[in-house]
Amino acid sequence: MSEGDRRKQLLQLAAGAVFLAIAVVLVLIVVNASESEGGDTRLEGTREVNRSLQGIPQNEMVLGDPQAPVELVEFADLKCPYCKAFAEGVLPPIIENQVKKGQVKISYRVYTIIDDQSQPAGAAAFAAGRQGRGWNFVELFYRNQGNELKSYADDEFLEAIAKGAGVKDLSRWNSERAELEPEVEATTAEAQELGFTGTPSFAIMGPKTNGLQPIRTVGGTGDLEAAIVGAS
Amino acid sequence: MSYPSEWTLRRAIAFLAALGVGVATYIAVEAAGGDAPSCLAGSNGCATVARSSYSHVAGVNIAVFGIVGYVLLLASAFFADDLARFGGFLVALGGFGYSVFLTYIELFKIEAICQWCVGSAILMTILFLLNATRLITYTGAEAGPLPDRA
Repeated sequence: MSEGDRRKQLLQLAAGAVFLAIAVVLVLIVVNASESEGGDTRLEGTREVNRSLQGIPQNEMVLGDPQAPVELVEFADLKCPYCKAFAEGVLPPIIENQVKKGQVKISYRVYTIIDDQSQPAGAAAFAAGRQGRGWNFVELFYRNQGNELKSYADDEFLEAIAKGAGVKDLSRWNSERAELEPEVEATTAEAQELGFTGTPSFAIMGPKTNGLQPIRTVGGTGDLEAAIVGAS
Repeated sequence: MSYPSEWTLRRAIAFLAALGVGVATYIAVEAAGGDAPSCLAGSNGCATVARSSYSHVAGVNIAVFGIVGYVLLLASAFFADDLARFGGFLVALGGFGYSVFLTYIELFKIEAICQWCVGSAILMTILFLLNATRLITYTGAEAGPLPDRA
């Protein structure tokens, strides 16, 4: 092969590599864009919820960097309207300012207090957590929460929330949510042992606490921030 | 049109790749120590990006891949044959393409900008242009420093 042919061949290979690189980057962008948009359009807030949690690590029901020094634990019932109010008004600044910076992680644990649907709903959230979408499930459930006196959280509703939250393997989610009901009973028992009588209730663990300590009065973001400072 | 000599291109590539090794190593060391790189002017972007799920691929911090890429680019600058020209071009192309993807992720997914990542993306862009110029202009040329082409 002459020097000229070799040069031509190398430049053709380089041009091919450029086209391949452009194709790969475009595919990566399209795949990532479609992941965030997904979900059930009949639900409210699907895009907002998935967007707001995009990029924050999730491990089971823990939101945030696993190495974060402070762990804030929330005990909540998905059907509880106060929990919805906290999720939408109190926790977002903590997530934005401390969880995203890796200073705090938040663990969501279920404390069933409303009715018989609270336990399967909590187990459904835990099953979503197994696929890294637990917090998406919880936040989307709150966005679409119904009247606490009504039995709206049936299987069809839970499946719609799971789909909207971006749970990829729905058959796995479906089989695991039944298995996880004992875990809901365990976190409910844990909340009772900590002396909590209502939801949402919070506990905290950090370098300056002796294990998991209940936060007795939480009226707003400021109380949680003070507890985080005290535990850091 | 006049092109810089291959010797000049190689020196520029070596300099920028060494800078890139420094930037990527800083990010990797901070992440390994449980911290996030410090952004200028009190911005939280670096911490937000560093703590995001996009900061790791298969459990490995992407800054580590950056170090490997910059070291390969640095190595390619020490040789003046077609293998180094083509290899350097491919590594720079991969790095540039991945930088484009990461910048998209920062802007539209994480919605935070890490100044160190932007710095690395700029370095990779310039390195891609330098390596492309080197490949197009000097492929087939004999090894060793060459005089300027007019």
